[in-house]
Amino acid sequence: MAFDSIDRRRFLLLAAAPLLAAQKAATPHARESMLQMNGYAVNAETPLAVLTDYMTPNELFFVRSHWIPRTPDPKKWSLTIDGEVERPAQLTLSDLKKLPRAEATCVLQCAGNGRGLYAPTVPGVQWRYGAVGNARWGGVRVRDVLDRAGVKASAKHLHVFGSDDPPGKVPPFQRSIEMEKVLADGILAFSMNGEPLPVVHGAPLRLIVPGWAGDHWMKWLVRLSPQAESQKGFYMETAYRYPLTVGAPGVAFKPEEMSPVTELFVKSNITTAPKKAKAGHAYEIRGFAFSGAPDIAKVEMSDDDGATWTDATLDARHDPYAWRLWSHRWTPSRAGKARICARATDSIGHVQPREAAWNQSGYLHNSWHFVDVEVTA
Amino acid sequence: MKRGIVLVLALVLSVGAAPKKHAYDQTLPVLGTKFHSLPAGTGRQLVEASCLPCHSPDILVQQRLTEKQWTATVDKMIRWGAVLKETDKPATIAYLSKNFGVTNNFTPTKTRPVGY
Repeated sequence: MAFDSIDRRRFLLLAAAPLLAAQKAATPHARESMLQMNGYAVNAETPLAVLTDYMTPNELFFVRSHWIPRTPDPKKWSLTIDGEVERPAQLTLSDLKKLPRAEATCVLQCAGNGRGLYAPTVPGVQWRYGAVGNARWGGVRVRDVLDRAGVKASAKHLHVFGSDDPPGKVPPFQRSIEMEKVLADGILAFSMNGEPLPVVHGAPLRLIVPGWAGDHWMKWLVRLSPQAESQKGFYMETAYRYPLTVGAPGVAFKPEEMSPVTELFVKSNITTAPKKAKAGHAYEIRGFAFSGAPDIAKVEMSDDDGATWTDATLDARHDPYAWRLWSHRWTPSRAGKARICARATDSIGHVQPREAAWNQSGYLHNSWHFVDVEVTA
Repeated sequence: MKRGIVLVLALVLSVGAAPKKHAYDQTLPVLGTKFHSLPAGTGRQLVEASCLPCHSPDILVQQRLTEKQWTATVDKMIRWGAVLKETDKPATIAYLSKNFGVTNNFTPTKTRPVGY
């Protein structure tokens, strides 16, 4: 079960190599840092105060690893297409790059982002706010790749496989996605924000599923297999499942009372707010909002525990399933402790709840984000 | 070996070519190179031997779990290949429950990105 130190060194070296190109476009973020949640397997979230750009810089983008990955050798890598297809294939990266290019600017959020905010507490990486980012993912459409292979009508689920074999008897991280979703929106990405996809983010190829949680965004892709039935195994049948009905906090559901985590829940966070303020003075509050729906309709702000709300201003930049940056000019009216919070509504009417529904694995946390500000006269 | 040399060279080149290396606080450790330590106490060596081959201490010291939750977690890890004698389970669970219970506090390590 043990990994030796060479595995760790190798991973760090592999992680560093693509940065040769990425650094050219890096945004300077003086004294900013990643918050390491686990040294190995590497898991790190981005501090909220850093998430103020429409595009999250590659090197500051949160990192999620189930275990120390066994990343593919790019020179030997190919993508296998098999299963319910007329023409199984092995595609190299250059094969893929001959297909029409596709890009999507959209949010990637770990299903467990915010797990550390749930009470009662649940096991797992105790993510708080920063296992989320927005990037421009470039590659080719899943539809274009599968069309070449000739998907049979019997195929209803795309089984996706990465290269990172787990240690010991740990079950493999294997997933499947409904064909309808992945054919409509799925991208096989080899670039991120215009640079080669970094190894820590899944190079040479990663699946992009706009609007859905990160558990579907398979890294280090090696095989796509359309099948009649959904994937089996621990990471489909036990983990990454969300209750079908809302239960009381602390009450666990059986796997059959849950379904796989798919669409993101509507959510906003505050990235910029003063710690101290003077009554009667104006301050700019900023943040981001996103959802499993294609767009955000509005973001509102409150400084009286949600009794009254004022519309924030949405940034003009938006893409389907990307986040919307927002800002609000806030003038505290009186001295004392102010609790400001934001609430997002998406384009199909979902409203961010005051309290996220507790679930036993701590997925999809989306409670209102409160920030305390000390206001003086 | 040859591949290893190429990778080391890639790292050296990437760091050397970094035009904005100054943008990150160079006093911070690089992501994935510095870990929390486990507090002293009975059971620590058992935890080190059975957990740390696959997990850095960070993932342990951030948990806030009841004894029941720790027991379920340890049992799951044994099913998944962790090496721990049945007779050592009580001390292991006791150590984890005592040090990383529901009132535990955790501060993530501030790091700079790999290659910066």
